[in-house]
Amino acid sequence: MKWLILFSGLWLMASGAEYSVIVSKKVSFSALTSQQIRDIFLQKRHMIGDQKIIPINLLGQDEARSAFESTILKMDRDRLNVYWVKQHFQGVVPPLTQPSFESIKVFVQNVEGSMGYVPSILVDNSVKVVYEF
Amino acid sequence: MIRKITGFVALSVILQADPYILGQGVYIDKMLTVGGYFSTEFESKESQETFRIDDVAIMAYGELNPTFSYLAELEAIGFYSKNFSTGNESGSQKFHVERFYGDMWLMDAFNIRFGKQITPIGYWNTEPINVLRDTTSNPLYSKLLFPKFLTGIDINGYILQTEGMHYHLFGQKNQDLDEEYINIPNEHFFGLSIENEFSSEWNGGGSVGEYITLTDQRTRFAQANVKYDDTQWQILAEGMITDSKYSNQESAHAVSGYVQGMYRYTLKHAFVGRYEYFNDHYSKYEDTIGTFGYSYRPLYPVSLKGEYQWHSLSDENRFLFSFSVLF
Repeated sequence: MKWLILFSGLWLMASGAEYSVIVSKKVSFSALTSQQIRDIFLQKRHMIGDQKIIPINLLGQDEARSAFESTILKMDRDRLNVYWVKQHFQGVVPPLTQPSFESIKVFVQNVEGSMGYVPSILVDNSVKVVYEF
Repeated sequence: MIRKITGFVALSVILQADPYILGQGVYIDKMLTVGGYFSTEFESKESQETFRIDDVAIMAYGELNPTFSYLAELEAIGFYSKNFSTGNESGSQKFHVERFYGDMWLMDAFNIRFGKQITPIGYWNTEPINVLRDTTSNPLYSKLLFPKFLTGIDINGYILQTEGMHYHLFGQKNQDLDEEYINIPNEHFFGLSIENEFSSEWNGGGSVGEYITLTDQRTRFAQANVKYDDTQWQILAEGMITDSKYSNQESAHAVSGYVQGMYRYTLKHAFVGRYEYFNDHYSKYEDTIGTFGYSYRPLYPVSLKGEYQWHSLSDENRFLFSFSVLF
């Protein structure tokens, strides 16, 4: 088992996909573009196909959140704060958060339409991966 | 059984917001976020110096269910003013309804906003408060040519099969809600506005529309806007041309626009320059204005700004300073 985890970690490092964007297995779509994920997490769009999406962010300043912000949202934390200050005036709040990857995963497993990101090493067949970064 | 347990765990994990960040409001729950803003200004002209607490506002918004959300904002403009040349003090602490609307979201391509709202035209008009602007002053384009607010319906959303093209189809056929701060009171205002995100740096758009004022002035307008914004530079340009027919049967057109450049020396410090032109052939009011300013934001929602304006009408030259906060 240890060898399997080690091999999976090495494979993910080699492929460059350190994190996975995950959704419930019940949703019909199977792959998204980074632009679609960006629009969902910036609260610009709320649907993929016919499915309403609930984006779930990671609480705090974890490096996974920084990687998500720079790679998918294409903004650093300062620029993102400017964005959310402007959105506050428009009556839009940032996505809600969960305190850990485990709670994001449990939430995504059980709430159809929710979307979060976790280290790829935590992904198993209880969730569906729609993007890797 | 395991599925039931994990379901229970998921439902018992309470979703939470990030801790309070200044400028992003106080999140109470999904149905209520509260916030507000204020601004103070100091103006120095050749003939007078004035201090103003210009805007004080509180706002609340939230999502009542997955389809329906609301926003309410009360504002007192001209809260307090002191003229240092004459010693006169004045002000009104009465709050008026600045915005009060509901959103019925049906899909990303079809959202209905109804109530009193900001007219969805261009950049300046949609982020009109001092703290979100990069100069204390507003270009004349944004104040004199079209109604800044709409009490009516705006159907808006993404245009299907496009990446980032957004439309607003709006209309008003009634009196404005709380006319106190309405720049052009009217009972007839219709328009269409399109915005497109070409990339994360570039976007642009335009609007067309018509309004009839309470003094029976019928105006048709066409407007265009373009923006470039990266981490260091921001360039904004907007322009509008109007064609009006007045109650005395005279017709005339007006044209106005501005180009504004901003260089962010660091995240906190920025230099701003703006050139604007305004020409209303009916009132014979023509002015060319150059503005140079400096903006300091210790935190983004806390803004200290200073600027000097040169007007082609020389007695309008002035210094402006302001301090504003969004919370």
